[in-house]
Amino acid sequence: MIFEQFRYEPLSAASYLVGCARAREALVVDPIADLGPDFYVLEAADQGLDVVAVVETHVHADFVSCARELADMTGATHYLGAAAQGLVRYDVTPAADGDSIHVGQIELQAIATPGHTPEHTAFVVVDHARSEEPWAVLTGDSLFVGDVGRPDLLVGDAELDVMDEETRAATQFRSIRERLLTLPDHVEVFPTHYGGSTCGGVNMSGKASSTIYFEKRYNLALAQPDAAAFVRFVRETAKPFPDGYARIKSYNLGLIGKDELAGATRP
Amino acid sequence: MTPAEVKSAIAEGALVLDLRPPRRFAAGHVPGALTMQFNRADLADRAELVLPKELALVVHAEPEPIAAAATAILREAGYDVRGHLEGGLAAWTAAGEPVAELPLLDVDELRERVHDYLVLDVRERFEFRHGHIAGAQLLPSGEAWQKAADVPGDRPIAVVCGDQTRSAAVASMLLRAGRDARLVMGGMVDWLERGYPVEKQPVHA
Repeated sequence: MIFEQFRYEPLSAASYLVGCARAREALVVDPIADLGPDFYVLEAADQGLDVVAVVETHVHADFVSCARELADMTGATHYLGAAAQGLVRYDVTPAADGDSIHVGQIELQAIATPGHTPEHTAFVVVDHARSEEPWAVLTGDSLFVGDVGRPDLLVGDAELDVMDEETRAATQFRSIRERLLTLPDHVEVFPTHYGGSTCGGVNMSGKASSTIYFEKRYNLALAQPDAAAFVRFVRETAKPFPDGYARIKSYNLGLIGKDELAGATRP
Repeated sequence: MTPAEVKSAIAEGALVLDLRPPRRFAAGHVPGALTMQFNRADLADRAELVLPKELALVVHAEPEPIAAAATAILREAGYDVRGHLEGGLAAWTAAGEPVAELPLLDVDELRERVHDYLVLDVRERFEFRHGHIAGAQLLPSGEAWQKAADVPGDRPIAVVCGDQTRSAAVASMLLRAGRDARLVMGGMVDWLERGYPVEKQPVHA
């Protein structure tokens, strides 16, 4: 298995290249427009890999996605959580809970983890060349290292937002506890954000990966006794909102074009 | 470059350098093209190993960012790169131009009918000495451009290396020279993984 984490420091955002060296195929997870589609194509090519799938854990609110451009450029299939159907204004292949995406010996198993957003989906990584057991989980903006994804990045349109902040927070608590912390202890955690990212709270670690065991034991947000306490905790430990998030989210949903994005990204 | 421009560059002696993965090259390529593995770290070294600098080149890589990166790297290395095939193979076929194919073999097929082929091992001498298919002829990939014409022509040529990186390049040279070449996918790694026999006698080449 080829597994690369690309960290984009200005946004404290991590994207991933996961590939099978034998099949010479790879998928890209949560590609960032600041890096650009060319970046991912060349990184894959340097490893001898063709990009055959672009996977997004959710519709991002804090960075501009280049998933559509990357999929167009490479002919790759663009996957997004099944609940995104009807929300995004472009064609994607739905990844429903329990679905698998295969590249060679590598399998990504979709786990619906609504909370940060309604369509949020985490992906368990299995390398069948090594074991049938899960090795890692790409947690997107659900479980972070030391923290969790914030539930309050709403566009302000009830239909698009689907859930209000409080429902999202309570759902996030359940998704992480019931669907992610139940994974085997050894499973490595690879989130889409770390450190200073405003997608999580003040307890996010600068370390961009962890394990299920460590987060189960030491993640303060998840140590809350119940959903109500969790909601309070998340609110109290929140950071300021990401710059221009409503406009970025609208672009990533396909509601507005690139021309309307100007000024929405951070310097 | 448009397909028409690529065609006239070929007529003037340019070589199409196809940097797509071996399976794509095998399924269809600009006739006469030579294939090579792309990566930014060692494309220049790979090219210098097998290709004379005097050759004019046309790059064929997909998608576009790879073509742009490869063109810059090869020019930096001193090659005369005329440009790249815009729109890739789709544009080429849409223009009504013919494509050539490179037949593939896996190691099981090779093992079963090994006597039907001339096995051409294009690894380095030290690798060959460590173990090669019985009867295989050695032609290190760096010597192939000069010596491809000397490969005996009584049987189809099964080209093998460690995987299919160097073998694809040499197979494409043979194909370009009008020879009946086949590319062995997986190479000696697959052959050994299956537990197929190898000869280990030192070679006096």
